Amino acid sequence: MELELVLAVGMFLTAIVALLGGFPVALTLGGVALLFALIGIALGAFPEPLLSTLPSRIQGGSIMQNETLIAVPLFIMMGVILERSKVAEDLLHIASRLLSKVRGGLGYAVVLVGALLAASTGIVGATVITMTLIALPTMLKQKYDPRLASGTIAASGTLGQIIPPSIVLILLADAVSNAASQAASRMGSGVSFVVSVGDLFAGALIPGILLVCLYLAYIAFNAIFRPEACPAAVEDDTEPLTTKEVVFGLGAPLALIIAVLGSILFGIATPTEAASIGAAGGILLAGLRLSDAHEKLKNTLIIAALLSIIAIILLRQIFDLRVAVDTIALANGIGIALTLIASAIFLIGVYAGGFVLQAKEQLMPALKSAVEITAMVFLILIGASLFSLVFRGFGGDDLVHELLSATPGGKWGALIIAMLVMFVLGFFLDFIEIVFVVVPLVTPPLIVAGFDPVWLAILMALNLQTSFLTPPFGFALFYLRGAAPADLKTLDIWKGALPFIGLQILMIALVAAMPFLATWLPSLTR
Amino acid sequence: MDATLFLKIGGFLNHAGLILSIVLLLPLLVLVFPKPMAGPGKRLSALIDKLTGVVSGIAIFAAIFLVTIQLIVVIASYALGLSFTWMSELVVYAFASMFMLGAAVALRNSAHVRVDIFRPRFGEDGRNWIELVGIYLFLFPIMIRILQTGEQGLARSWQLFEGSRESDGLPILYVFKTLVPVFAVLMITQGLSEALKAALRLTGQLPPAEVSEAPEAAHGA
Repeated sequence: MELELVLAVGMFLTAIVALLGGFPVALTLGGVALLFALIGIALGAFPEPLLSTLPSRIQGGSIMQNETLIAVPLFIMMGVILERSKVAEDLLHIASRLLSKVRGGLGYAVVLVGALLAASTGIVGATVITMTLIALPTMLKQKYDPRLASGTIAASGTLGQIIPPSIVLILLADAVSNAASQAASRMGSGVSFVVSVGDLFAGALIPGILLVCLYLAYIAFNAIFRPEACPAAVEDDTEPLTTKEVVFGLGAPLALIIAVLGSILFGIATPTEAASIGAAGGILLAGLRLSDAHEKLKNTLIIAALLSIIAIILLRQIFDLRVAVDTIALANGIGIALTLIASAIFLIGVYAGGFVLQAKEQLMPALKSAVEITAMVFLILIGASLFSLVFRGFGGDDLVHELLSATPGGKWGALIIAMLVMFVLGFFLDFIEIVFVVVPLVTPPLIVAGFDPVWLAILMALNLQTSFLTPPFGFALFYLRGAAPADLKTLDIWKGALPFIGLQILMIALVAAMPFLATWLPSLTR
Repeated sequence: MDATLFLKIGGFLNHAGLILSIVLLLPLLVLVFPKPMAGPGKRLSALIDKLTGVVSGIAIFAAIFLVTIQLIVVIASYALGLSFTWMSELVVYAFASMFMLGAAVALRNSAHVRVDIFRPRFGEDGRNWIELVGIYLFLFPIMIRILQTGEQGLARSWQLFEGSRESDGLPILYVFKTLVPVFAVLMITQGLSEALKAALRLTGQLPPAEVSEAPEAAHGA
């Protein structure tokens, strides 16, 4: 018994040290676990058959046949394609033109664009880098306080993790729902929890929007009390925006976000279904954005595809389109035929969009990076599941359970400890690793202690988002440093992040004190 | 269809793999005898990289296939009230192929997340040593273990030509399950190439790898 726990703790500590070596995280986690399992087997402290379940775990419902996680590559594809279609550049361009004449206007623009990008591409690193490259020089030229400028950009970039549809929320939903069913089996019969991706998306929406409001309020505060920190543009040397630019640049991503998020939140589509529509919509919009005016055929096809979506929705309202009924009335038959034609047009349009992207040499790079990001996520899942398997084999999960229940301060003490551990781990581990390794360990005891799973998940998401923003190791700050001009002092970047960390902590406290902020929307959609 | 032929092929592949695993020592030979081993090492590494590139094409195809089939599934179920198990299974197959076949190319392009805090401070040689040690200590053992422990189950699956549990599902679950060893072999092969590159860099036979200052944009995806 003792030996097993020593090995469990030793494995955890070894993994942390080994990770700092900088070898890929997924392989380090799995490799350390395997070595300790072999030591354990040699010492008779580890049940060998457990290790041979690995291949069936990989091909089973938790990884290769995990239907929840199919949404992940689809949302990644939507994100990388929108990124290639210069949606970020367009949004920043429009928002800063519209708002630059007010004090703090560029700041508002960055926060709002960050929120929109969070809901469309959702890739934190890319968002921070793009905004640093485009917005930061403009802000500094307009004599913004460098601290305010860099803090705003870093904080707005991290919104991608909390504002749905976010990939980390999908992964978190998977981990928390597993944890919840474990907790339920510990608590005995009659207890069951359901945590779906839709629940977390709904639960994160209000905290995410409130967070955006807090950021905006902080910039407004600066605009009023420290006007020199965020001055308005003095002269307007750029030509005014055309209506078309605004409608397309702002309207298209907004429409896509509303369609994808709305269909999930209103329960019309599962996250996976909505994600595939999102990816297709991303290809259509990117195709339209990047195509040349003379490519009439492709443009027509893309627009026809967009119209055919509306056509399908309308046809479904008018006719009974079910094919599986015994007799199909003539009118309905016509409806079905029209629907099939509309579907074909839709698919052809999506492919036309793909060809436009390919002609601009954007499609293959986008798909390549989608494949690599997906592979990265799932290799971590494989490594982490080997790690968890071995850790459990040593009885490590019981140890965590005992530690958390022995914490002074009861369940709130346990919660605070768990959150602090995740916060610190967030400095050097990515959200993905924490979700796959730490969340499965600490969440079941917390749920057993009586906390709501959805609420816990939202708190964790906010917590890790804060960790990404915290100097000296916050990832968002690294991205910003990498893309910012060299004369911007690192210390200024760090100091600029501090007020936003304060806002984050305020938000965590609000959600902790008022759980309905996270649980009310999911309870409606259920 | 007779399973014995396939089982024989499987057994043959198993033995071939065991014999070929001697090649996994080549990076160490490069370290000890840099001059005579550099040529074969470079050629093998380049060959593996090219092979992985071909496989990554399949993974990209799987990505396109995934979007297409999922869209058809959505339209069929939303508009026409139709749902087919085999179609949903195709989605799952495409999804799994995307990352099981894409993992090796992500390794080649260094797209797997690393902890970057101390990495820049280890210097070129330090990073190459970590790469070598990591591949021999972590990558090879994990993947070999996956191959070993999966062998029996896979043979049984092929013996039965195991299909989906659902009656209107795909009859090729055994092919799907074969993705696991394919993934492991691809990772071992690409790991060998990475180890060769690290060894060649350590012995000065290859120019140092360029280090990017900013962490990978894939972080926090």
